[in-house]
Amino acid sequence: MAGHTPARAMPDRLPAARPRRRGARRPSESRAMTGLWNTVAVVFGIVMAFPIYWMILTTVKSNGDLLAQNPAFWPKRFDFSSYKTIFDDPDFLGNLRNTAIITIGSVLAGLVVGFLAAVAVARFRFRGRNPFIVAILIVQMVPLLSIAIPLYIVLNKAGLYDQFLGVIVAYLVFTIPYVVWTLRSFIVNIPVELDEAAMVDGCTRWGAFFRIILPLSLPGLVTTGVYAWIQAWNEFVLANTLLSSNSKRTSMVWLSFYSSSPTHGADYGSQMAGALLVSLPVIILFVIFQRRVASGLTAGAVKG
Amino acid sequence: MYLSETSSPRAAPRGLLRTDASGTVDRLGRHQDQDQDQDLRAPGKDPSTTMSAIQSDSRERGVEPSEGRAPAPPPGRRRGATVQGRYIPYILILPAIVALVGVMGYPLLRVILLAFQNVNSYLRLAVPSLDRWIGFQGFTRVLSDAQFWHVVWRTFLFTFEVVTLSVALGLVFALLLNRVSRWAKIFVSTVLMFVWAIPALVTGTVFRWLFAGIGGVIDYICYLLGGSGMKNHDWFANANEGLYVVVAAAVVWGALPFLVLGLNAAMTQVPRELVEAARVDGANPVQSFRHVILPIIRPFLLLCTSLSFIWDFQVFTQIWSLRQNAPEPGYWTVGVYLYEEGFTSSHYSTSSVISVAMILLMLAVLVAYIRQVVKIGGQG
Repeated sequence: MAGHTPARAMPDRLPAARPRRRGARRPSESRAMTGLWNTVAVVFGIVMAFPIYWMILTTVKSNGDLLAQNPAFWPKRFDFSSYKTIFDDPDFLGNLRNTAIITIGSVLAGLVVGFLAAVAVARFRFRGRNPFIVAILIVQMVPLLSIAIPLYIVLNKAGLYDQFLGVIVAYLVFTIPYVVWTLRSFIVNIPVELDEAAMVDGCTRWGAFFRIILPLSLPGLVTTGVYAWIQAWNEFVLANTLLSSNSKRTSMVWLSFYSSSPTHGADYGSQMAGALLVSLPVIILFVIFQRRVASGLTAGAVKG
Repeated sequence: MYLSETSSPRAAPRGLLRTDASGTVDRLGRHQDQDQDQDLRAPGKDPSTTMSAIQSDSRERGVEPSEGRAPAPPPGRRRGATVQGRYIPYILILPAIVALVGVMGYPLLRVILLAFQNVNSYLRLAVPSLDRWIGFQGFTRVLSDAQFWHVVWRTFLFTFEVVTLSVALGLVFALLLNRVSRWAKIFVSTVLMFVWAIPALVTGTVFRWLFAGIGGVIDYICYLLGGSGMKNHDWFANANEGLYVVVAAAVVWGALPFLVLGLNAAMTQVPRELVEAARVDGANPVQSFRHVILPIIRPFLLLCTSLSFIWDFQVFTQIWSLRQNAPEPGYWTVGVYLYEEGFTSSHYSTSSVISVAMILLMLAVLVAYIRQVVKIGGQG
């Protein structure tokens, strides 16, 4: 379950692995050995890529190909009817829209609440600060499943069960800790002198937050926002327990129902088309923000 | 629970803005007076500790707090500097605290309370007056149930397998990425980024198709590689095979991108000179890994082992979708078990008992990690 986030991903630029200059090859790294290792790496890459390749390949196979005795590694002809089946599903597009609403809502809410707390943690020293940080880090360890039932009870009582707002609020449980922790290190890196200069020039304290810190931490907001987006979009456990009606489901819940329904349970062509389509928004985000997300996720953990 | 201390701003409002510490901003005398009042009331306040605490939050990351401490400036200056807006940090963290108490603190409390009640049907949930406190009865019932211990044992076994496999493979391929040509590294990293983007539920769906008994490609590849009996092999008929091979493969596949890219990034922090020096001193590759690289990446290795444990121990989504929303009892890990009890059978209290047990088990395993977390929190 990808519900939780790396606790202390920090956004600082990853010292990009510098390409080794050709001339600087160490004597022990003979050409033949490098070739061998390259081959191993390529095989590893192919093995890792294979499930995705197979998912995409399945979507363009014809029914005849899918039912063939031996699966083919390349289709005899391209057939896009699987996509048509998906788009004909009455709930697909609506549920995609639901996912977008819930994701955008929880990302924005998480960013606003998280940004404020991150400013407090990065710029102030106050009683209760360290317990707050510890709490932020520990909250990420609690399994979402273990609070699914009480969340269901609480939201039910508040009239938010089967409502987008309820899910958006519930998602704060993993967006806030991540946003606070990641933005904190962004804000710590903004020189305090800038705040001071602004305040000397007549800015209020709050003015300094919004005119100095906010614009300067924009790259951090984008990084954390993208990551929170991915988390929320991919989330399944809470969406599955907190939404019930067909028209309100998110795409992940839709996919789980679609692929276990009697009509489509064995129709892997359309299942794979559905699977690809619901992951596409996240894949596209990854492609656009690739470098930033990767360094945001890994670099901080390195610094511990 | 953890938030209780922070949630009462009145406890000791001692907000110091770092900008204030430098003494450049000091405009509201009113607040200054208030501050001095607070100072008189707050016992045991040592200007130098406060000051060094401020300083330790140094802008240069990586500087240890102890190194970053500056000599305490004259107390009078500090006093003048700690002025306005001591309440500001509390206002700033208030929304986060309210949200976390609401969606994490209260539910956690509720789960503990439920564990001591008999809310084991939807009716009891709907009509709270029927609820009874039953003390530890719920715990004794769950703990004396053989199935619970089967599930716990299965979960630990599965977690151990998956964490070991994914961290070991992650290390190996992270090392490999350091050794290969640039184009190979770019190729592998790109693939890993795509794998990373795939949602867990989709992973489960795709792997169910890969390992399908009829038309599944893994069967066919095994057949091509010489396993003649593997064609139309049903991977899921035996739950042990399904769980420890197929589910494990799906989870490891999904976990590797973070581990490989993260560990590789950690290894780029190892100064090249160190590795060179070790080689000049006659260390073979294994020795230089063990004595040079490993000590440097150890903190990150601990972190990602702990995170892998947290993620894999509560695995649910992949199992759920691999078994088409109805995992057989042989596939039940703790997460699936508590879901089945809670939502499929409406045994809310039993499910809560399992939740509490699950959290306690995780805490027990993660003691070292939590200590690390508390230390980091202490350093700020």
